[in-house]
Amino acid sequence: MAVAQGAPSRGALLSLKIPRGRAATLTLYIIRRILWLIPVLFFVITITFVLMHFAPGSPWDKEGKQLSAAVIRNLNAKYGLSDPFFVQYLRYLGNVARFDFGLSFQYEDQSVSSLILRSWPPTAVIGVLAFAMIVIFGIGIGVVAALRQNTWVDYAVVGFSTIGASTPAFVLGIILIIIFSVTLYRITGGAFSLPTGSFALDQHLIMPVVTLATLPIAFIARLTRASTLETLRQDYVRTAWAKGLRERLVVTKHVLKNSLIPVVSALGPTFAVLITGSVIVESVFAIPGIGRAFVVAVSSRDYPMILATTILFSVIVALANLVVDLLYTVIDPRVRLT
Amino acid sequence: MDDSVARFRWLRVPALLTVVGLLAAACGNPAPSTSNLAKDQTLRVNIQVEPNSLDPGQEQYAYEGAVGVSISEALVRVKADLSDVQAATASSWSTSSDGLTWTFKIRSNAKWNDGKPVTGADFVYAWQRILDPRLAASYADPFFDGTIAGAADYLSLDPVKDAAKIPAFLAGLGLSAPDASTFVVKLQAPSPFFKWIASLWMSAPVRKDVVDQYGSDKWATSPTSLITNGQYKVSEMVSKDHITLVPNTYYWGGTPTLTKIINYEISDDNQAYAKYLNGELDLDNVPLANTDLVSNDPKLKNEVKKVPQLTLFWMDYNTRKAPFNNTQARLAFSKAVDRASLVKNVGKNRWTAANFFIPKGMNGYRPDLGKTQDYDPAAAKTMLTQAVGDPSKITIDFLIRNSTANKQLGEFIADQLQTNLGVKVNQVVIDSKTVTTRLRKHDYQLYVGGWGADYPDDQDWFDIWMTGSGNVFGGWSNAQYDALVKKADVEPDAKKRQDYYDQAQKIMIDEAGGGFLYQRGYMFLVKPWVQNLTTTPIDQENIGDQFWSKVSIAQH
Repeated sequence: MAVAQGAPSRGALLSLKIPRGRAATLTLYIIRRILWLIPVLFFVITITFVLMHFAPGSPWDKEGKQLSAAVIRNLNAKYGLSDPFFVQYLRYLGNVARFDFGLSFQYEDQSVSSLILRSWPPTAVIGVLAFAMIVIFGIGIGVVAALRQNTWVDYAVVGFSTIGASTPAFVLGIILIIIFSVTLYRITGGAFSLPTGSFALDQHLIMPVVTLATLPIAFIARLTRASTLETLRQDYVRTAWAKGLRERLVVTKHVLKNSLIPVVSALGPTFAVLITGSVIVESVFAIPGIGRAFVVAVSSRDYPMILATTILFSVIVALANLVVDLLYTVIDPRVRLT
Repeated sequence: MDDSVARFRWLRVPALLTVVGLLAAACGNPAPSTSNLAKDQTLRVNIQVEPNSLDPGQEQYAYEGAVGVSISEALVRVKADLSDVQAATASSWSTSSDGLTWTFKIRSNAKWNDGKPVTGADFVYAWQRILDPRLAASYADPFFDGTIAGAADYLSLDPVKDAAKIPAFLAGLGLSAPDASTFVVKLQAPSPFFKWIASLWMSAPVRKDVVDQYGSDKWATSPTSLITNGQYKVSEMVSKDHITLVPNTYYWGGTPTLTKIINYEISDDNQAYAKYLNGELDLDNVPLANTDLVSNDPKLKNEVKKVPQLTLFWMDYNTRKAPFNNTQARLAFSKAVDRASLVKNVGKNRWTAANFFIPKGMNGYRPDLGKTQDYDPAAAKTMLTQAVGDPSKITIDFLIRNSTANKQLGEFIADQLQTNLGVKVNQVVIDSKTVTTRLRKHDYQLYVGGWGADYPDDQDWFDIWMTGSGNVFGGWSNAQYDALVKKADVEPDAKKRQDYYDQAQKIMIDEAGGGFLYQRGYMFLVKPWVQNLTTTPIDQENIGDQFWSKVSIAQH
């Protein structure tokens, strides 16, 4: 064995027999991070479960006509809510371990897994498209603004970021609907207008994606601009200019890579937020997505649906952070994963 | 059997003429004629929320009934003017002289959407299923267990501990099908209102073989297994987006004009409104906040249609707590709210003032009984002072469900009580579930409650104020009232029955069991090409949705 006893071991889960190449380290790092998800999820489930059951109101409390005591007793029996709290908790943990997330309380005859599988694709499509827009436009206009600091381009970008960052999605969404659906429909006599809402893989996507992307674009553009300005003042950039390199080379080779480090760490959580759905954008545009499903589940105390979506969101956030950490090793050679 | 079809068609003509006439009179538009029908007979409406279930035994909300009434047909259905029920899946029915046995004759040409005939056994199965505690059907209690012979044990039957007793309980119910075309129901007591229960969309038949094949919790989740007997059937379900209906080609009453009904599930009011403006929706429930905007728009105001609803709201006083344990104090509060101003300023003239309990449109409508609750701020203040002392020392916790409309209503009432009575009102605005929990625990003083008719019979209204009812939280109780209502519920003579109910209503208003406020009304935008809309005051989610089969789309 090449490693002497007592040598510091890198990573608790590392077996010393495995060759120590960079790829292997990375694989082990990823495996370890994924295994860490198990205790994280355990705590997420526990906290959610406890909070949920102590929130006032039962799934059967409603507005209007009240369910009778006999019906509530029958519902509790049907959904296992008449058992003691701890029994319910242990049974839920056991079911989750078998990837069984149970039946929805609200949609009386549908499994939570099928509800999530149905409502996530629209959210994910819009989220991924919005993310692509954010990366392209956010970083793009941020860099351009920094390179042309104190020109009209810069002022336009800063102006856009300020307005974009301070316009809530429900305002922007409604404005877009008024302009591109209602007004355009009236002007063209119905010949051309964008659809007001709902989900389809065509022009239906335009307004929701733009609405969802505007605020993060503004935010990422500001971040990129600030970070690029700082990088431009670094000695090694001055050296690059001094060597007579062309602007394109200086920017792509020296500036961009370093100024993107803070941007990447912001993009990770942004991506996680985007693909877990925005309840506002989904409501304004009537998109059958998971953001709306989650809020409806909370307000109707649909316990299995709340738990399952919380678990899903935790996994996505954890994975997005993992990807960010991995990307660091690519853009910043100083970062080493252990 | 052809006779019934012919009769049905014949009935349509006068109805159509009436509606056309009304349309012409109401908006001054040229009356659309039936000869210029649009090629695409599709109706696009918004039911706002995705139905939790389309299984008749599991449905409980209006947004479920909105689809349910079109795809599932009960024994009988309401007449548009709510005066009575009319034949539906049952072609005729009779009641025994003691009022305890109801015999329904099922049409020989009544068919499911897969072509099989509807039988009496399908109804026996469906109603037994509703009364099976393991299904936990929302409407089992009190509609079914309160009327059907042998069903009263439902209340004590635990689905887990008493599982072994359930089959015998279901077999012992007063439900039978002596032959394929007969369905016999035995009741606990003579119940003149039972015809209305037989008209509810949740009392529609259910197919045993379908439930057995796909599973009790699964059969209603997909169009292929959703075998129903209504005029329409579900052809497409897209979760949180829409449910599409097409005609059931086997339906006994022939093919309707509308060949497609798309029920969108749009929860955002502005989105639905924009869709209506863009021609993507044919009907739109105008949000309260948009009332003035629509009424003042030169084009839209011609597309407005208002329909009163059998829904009434009142101040629910918690009679277990001071000052509402005092009858005079409750009356004082009831006299302290200006309903005319409420209806004008908060209700935007879509509501009508009501200081009585039974709304306009029902047999028991007696506005004269509300006199004791007439608005009189000076008298109210004196009354309150005499009853419980200095009003400025009283603080009222006023529970309000969190929504813009509820907050506006709450603010108005709080302001009236503070100004007119001099009491302090503490508005507690919290989320809906928490409000219900607190109401059920009687942890409140004041709340605005309401009731919407399940069916237009007084029994459905008066029962909720009986001692121990779970639907009025305030706990007002009066033995004389209970006795009168019990007597009225089973009284076969219509005039005597009405007299008992009137006496009961007077007792309740005079003791201010609640402080009655207003009757709600719908305000809809309807595209001019929607013809023959037949509305009732108990429509589900859209005006006219009980009678979509009569609607047609004109060329436009």
